[in-house]
Amino acid sequence: MAILTVEDLHKNYGPIQALKGVSFTVPQGSVFGILGPNGSGKTTLLGIILNVLKATSGSFKLFDSAPTHVHRQQIGTLLETPNFYHYLNAVQNLKIAATIKQQGLADIDRVLELVNLEQRKFSKFSTYSLGMKQRLAIASSLLGNPDVLIFDEPTNGLDPVGIAETRELIKKLHKAGKTIIMASHLLDEVEKVCTHVAILQKGTLLTHGHVDEILITDEIVEIAAANMQQLQSILQQYPGAKKVVVNDLYVELTFPPGAASLEALNRYCFEQGVTLHHLRLRKKSLETKFFELTQNTK
Amino acid sequence: MGQLLALEWMKLKNYRAFWILFCIYLATIFGANYIVYRIQLIIYSERQSKGFATMVLGNPPYAFPTVWQAVAHVSSWLLFIPGLIMILTVTNEYSFKTHRQNIIDGWTRQQFITSKILFAAVLALISTLMVAITAVIFGFMSGEASFSFEGFSYVWYFLLQAMSYIMVALLMAVLFKRGGLAIGVFFAYSTVLEQIAVLLLNKYANYAGRYLPLETTDIMVPFPYIQRIVNKLMFTEPNYTAIFIASLVYLGAYLFVTLKKFQTDDM
Repeated sequence: MAILTVEDLHKNYGPIQALKGVSFTVPQGSVFGILGPNGSGKTTLLGIILNVLKATSGSFKLFDSAPTHVHRQQIGTLLETPNFYHYLNAVQNLKIAATIKQQGLADIDRVLELVNLEQRKFSKFSTYSLGMKQRLAIASSLLGNPDVLIFDEPTNGLDPVGIAETRELIKKLHKAGKTIIMASHLLDEVEKVCTHVAILQKGTLLTHGHVDEILITDEIVEIAAANMQQLQSILQQYPGAKKVVVNDLYVELTFPPGAASLEALNRYCFEQGVTLHHLRLRKKSLETKFFELTQNTK
Repeated sequence: MGQLLALEWMKLKNYRAFWILFCIYLATIFGANYIVYRIQLIIYSERQSKGFATMVLGNPPYAFPTVWQAVAHVSSWLLFIPGLIMILTVTNEYSFKTHRQNIIDGWTRQQFITSKILFAAVLALISTLMVAITAVIFGFMSGEASFSFEGFSYVWYFLLQAMSYIMVALLMAVLFKRGGLAIGVFFAYSTVLEQIAVLLLNKYANYAGRYLPLETTDIMVPFPYIQRIVNKLMFTEPNYTAIFIASLVYLGAYLFVTLKKFQTDDM
């Protein structure tokens, strides 16, 4: 069963096209990352799925059927910002959410404990820090232990500990068999927790699929020796290298994933009469990869 | 329907600004009538002015049976307060974005806006109940005539008037979304702009001003005796049946536009 199927979704805000025919499918049990820079249409896409925005054209299905409010009751959601009544405390706010979701009130203490808010559960929402607000929103999304969760920038406003805890929570939920749809502009976050990814740019879906296929990153080896010119000339013919680039400090060789062997390179250079004083393997940064993905299809 | 109101209650019961405004409102219904009642006492206690007032007005307005009408009319000047409460409860949702969250959590848009319309109806009913209680109190305080339900129909007209004002407020809140703007437009229209339009249209357009939205319900609850005198001065009597139908049509229109707007807008 597909949890979410999006078909040719368009959304215009006046003359601005926020979504230009987006289609993809979220399989059950996946952690599906929607990745894109600010303003790429991530929140618009999720807003349409949650019925707070109206699509200009196109359609989507939840659980393989036409979407209704009952589906939304079964999905835990954190969209954009934590939205709560400022003059109510955490428990009072969660009672409202639980009532709308048709859930019992017994679950409130459990979810507050999960996000470490039980100490402050009787404080007004307006007195919360940004991170606490975000944690309350995560708690609200966990009410009733839903099988599907939608998180829009879930680590927004959290401190490093909060970010790590949220990632752990997402991994734990994934292990428990939940399907998680997560929008983020942080590549590193998507790479760390997602199984699938869709990349959005300016309202267009550039690519989507399994994270290992989309975010594969080339390996780069930095090499330096006393005689850089000689080094460069012997490396031009090095078998298996995709690209050889010379910069101020190093010669950089690019290899397909898993193909770089430092040992072989070292031996090759030595046999050619060059002794190295720097040899280091690094992965192409995700940012570079992301720029590549978003530049190519312009 | 019960669940929608129960949820509205959960939102309001711990909201202090609401309770302050609400208590002030109930107190001013009693207070404003008390002021007019005191004026009546002064006029009717002096022999000379009493004679004149009895000639023009008849019995004291705050005595049965006219007390229903008098209290309904005086209280109707305060209907901007429940309007304000209505706007506040809706635009709060917009500024906290909780209307979004309610939908995300699994309400339909219709459920959300219906809960607000039900709240408007409850506000109108409580206002009407307060008017009825106040009328009974002042009726007995005036003490000149015995209790009577004659003229109680004005309390029902007040209910229609209250519903009309509060629904206009709800419409403003849904149209403008921001509290300050909605309150400003609602106040300006209900207290000044429409009155000016009524005067101009009545003067230059064959009394068409009587059919303006809030005027249709205002005109049905005049102060006792006054309307009779005013009507005598005018050349045409208002067609109350047509005005009553117009007020119901307006009420239907407020409902329709509010529902439509909330169901089709992006949030």
